[in-house]
Amino acid sequence: MAEEHDPRTGGHLPHLRPDGQPPDPSWLPRQRVGVTPQMIGRYPDYDVLASVDTWDRATREVVTKRLRLRGPLRFFTAQEEPTLRAFCDVATAQDSEPRVPVAEMVDDKLAAGRLDGYRYAGMPRDPDTWRLVLRGLDEVAASRYGRDTFGACDPRAREAIIGALADGSLSGGAWDELDVSRAFSVCMRAILEAFYSHPWAWNEIGYGGPAYPRGYMRLGPIAVREPRERPGATAEDPLRAAEDRES
Amino acid sequence: MTGRLRGLLKGAVGPEANDSRYLLDVHRRDMPGQDTMARYQDSDEVDLCIVGAGAGGSVLAQRLARRGWRVVIIEAGPFWHPDQDWVSDEAGSHRLYWNQERVIGGDDPIELGKNNSGRGVGGSMIHYAGYCPRFHPSDFQTKTRDGVGADWPISYSDLKPHYEEVERELPVAGQDWPWGDPHRYPFSPHPIGGAAMVLWKGAIAQGIEMRVGPVGIVNGTFGNRPHCIYRGFCLQGCKVSAKASPYVTHLPDALAHGVEIRANSMAVRVETNEADGRATGVTYVREGDGVEGHQRARAVAVAGYSIETPRLLLHSTSKRFPGGLGNSEDQVGRYVMVQGASQTAGRFGEELRMYKGPPPEVSSEQFYETDKARGFARGFSIQTVSPQPIGWAEHVLADGHWGRALREYMRDYNHWTTIGVLNELLPHPENRVTLDQDTDPYGVPVARFDYSASDNDKANIAYSTDVITGILHAAGAQDILTIHRYAHLVGGARMGTSPDNSVVNSDHRVWGVPNLFVADGSVCPTQGSANPALTIMALSSRLAQRLASRSTA
Repeated sequence: MAEEHDPRTGGHLPHLRPDGQPPDPSWLPRQRVGVTPQMIGRYPDYDVLASVDTWDRATREVVTKRLRLRGPLRFFTAQEEPTLRAFCDVATAQDSEPRVPVAEMVDDKLAAGRLDGYRYAGMPRDPDTWRLVLRGLDEVAASRYGRDTFGACDPRAREAIIGALADGSLSGGAWDELDVSRAFSVCMRAILEAFYSHPWAWNEIGYGGPAYPRGYMRLGPIAVREPRERPGATAEDPLRAAEDRES
Repeated sequence: MTGRLRGLLKGAVGPEANDSRYLLDVHRRDMPGQDTMARYQDSDEVDLCIVGAGAGGSVLAQRLARRGWRVVIIEAGPFWHPDQDWVSDEAGSHRLYWNQERVIGGDDPIELGKNNSGRGVGGSMIHYAGYCPRFHPSDFQTKTRDGVGADWPISYSDLKPHYEEVERELPVAGQDWPWGDPHRYPFSPHPIGGAAMVLWKGAIAQGIEMRVGPVGIVNGTFGNRPHCIYRGFCLQGCKVSAKASPYVTHLPDALAHGVEIRANSMAVRVETNEADGRATGVTYVREGDGVEGHQRARAVAVAGYSIETPRLLLHSTSKRFPGGLGNSEDQVGRYVMVQGASQTAGRFGEELRMYKGPPPEVSSEQFYETDKARGFARGFSIQTVSPQPIGWAEHVLADGHWGRALREYMRDYNHWTTIGVLNELLPHPENRVTLDQDTDPYGVPVARFDYSASDNDKANIAYSTDVITGILHAAGAQDILTIHRYAHLVGGARMGTSPDNSVVNSDHRVWGVPNLFVADGSVCPTQGSANPALTIMALSSRLAQRLASRSTA
């Protein structure tokens, strides 16, 4: 058990596990300072927002605005909202509060008309792609699981549906108006940009965040930390872990 | 002897005919001279109107302004004020990219936008990583040497003095360079971080030579430009002014010599005279109020890069030029190239924190030339990179992980280091920019870019991915994640020997329009496996010399 959850060996990584699946996140320590999504992470004593006063003003305004983003949604309709939220939750594995407000961030991007500079030939514009995907998720929920909406499915069914979306294996209804794999890529592009632009996600992964005008001085040769950086940790009892390694 | 002297004088030798580094302000990052910039009337017939304030257009403007030319640059994007406009943040840097609608097609559609397209004063060098390698001499003769691609109408030796001059202007820092035409760099190599060091050790174990650099990042100080602070946000616009872009390397000097940059102005047509076919100026639309202007000019240079330059030429139709300018033989927009840019990440027990330090650190050109034993023509280069979290999330997703698995790999971010390749993908006439049926808000058809990789390209990508994966295994990586992607753009208005094989001649002059030039990466007939920025600048430097000597002769 200790071996499996030792960050030095990487035994928690899906590729290195027999079933190819990630472990249940219960092996992770609870966050002790600051906020992380679902209050889990690998850096329980690290809060990137503790250094907000050292960031330049322009960066501080852009980043802290994400902490204040609230509904109501402007682009998506009330009918689409539960499906959107359920999709964002599954895509980023957010099953409880506190949540990074991915749905609000995606909605903000689409409402503001921000484009990414390309559209696949034969695909609708990004805003239309989003609406079709949400409609398609509800259609699959109805046809395969007998539920009115995607959000009404149980967690296992939701994961199975998003898995089929990722594989590009959905068809019929809204999906016939889309290239399914590319539609997944369009949505994930927005979802991941939202999630990993949020300081709570930076706390979870131990990322240094903005670094201007301060910069970095401890680059190497290896495993060195700035004074404000904190080492990674696990939830295991340190004494027992040491005993397990010796035995 | 001079080589040894230059070695001793590292960091002390600057360019002679470019004062940008002294014109910059130590206390603020705004471009000095914007408030007092020359202003021309549309009705003034200026000597040269340039479309695009990026790598190509800026160097051309700076050079010719120093020769007394009256120059106006029409730039679609904003005039940046880095202290306010640029942020130390990935998602917040969205405005730096050309995000206007474009359509991508073909078997291997190329994602545009943040990956390869800039918008605003300074162009895409505002958000390029900073790698500044030269092309190799072989790049100019791939048809003769390797039986693929094309021969340029100029050779490496035509560009060499301009490479040297631009390297002094950026300035480029790196170790003595053993590949291609061996050369030194004006600035010493930067120290490298732990994440890159792990990769370098793996390369050594595999018998692969790597060198630090070459990067256009100040190591030491350079006039009023400070030392890099290693914050890692090269791709988000350098708030420090340590990384080279035209914004700090050429445009301050250009403004001091009377150049006007007309920002937020989208060029929509190059106008020509029906009688003699000469260009008369550029029609543009001002963003915001949509007012149309027409800048008169004795000569026009298009420098909008490989998507917008063909789009503008194709859209500039008239009775005399029904298919657009330079397009009598259907050559405009063809032979657009991208480089394969697969990246492989390796996992290590220690915390490597790859977000610290500039993404470009160590590179190799050992595999650059053709080696018949590999089974494909031409080659690739290897470069360390280091994605920030959103880039890392795209990497993890590309390996097939989302939801809980993605979160697990993302939490592991600090244990990973990333190495990438640049494959020389070959030019093909059907990889081209055309006009789509959709139009932009000004009624101009948007660009459509179709791209399909050839068998040679696919073999190159597969082989190079094996090489970098081997480096990670040799370094002791516990797990590996790979993303296949593309980077950079060149071609689309290539130089050649006649209108039926090219758009411009060896002096960048558009066939059939004697005073119209193309001054950006679209003129490149091949691309090597070098990042294109330095070559685009060197080409413009040479073009300026050609134009100036012709007009004084």
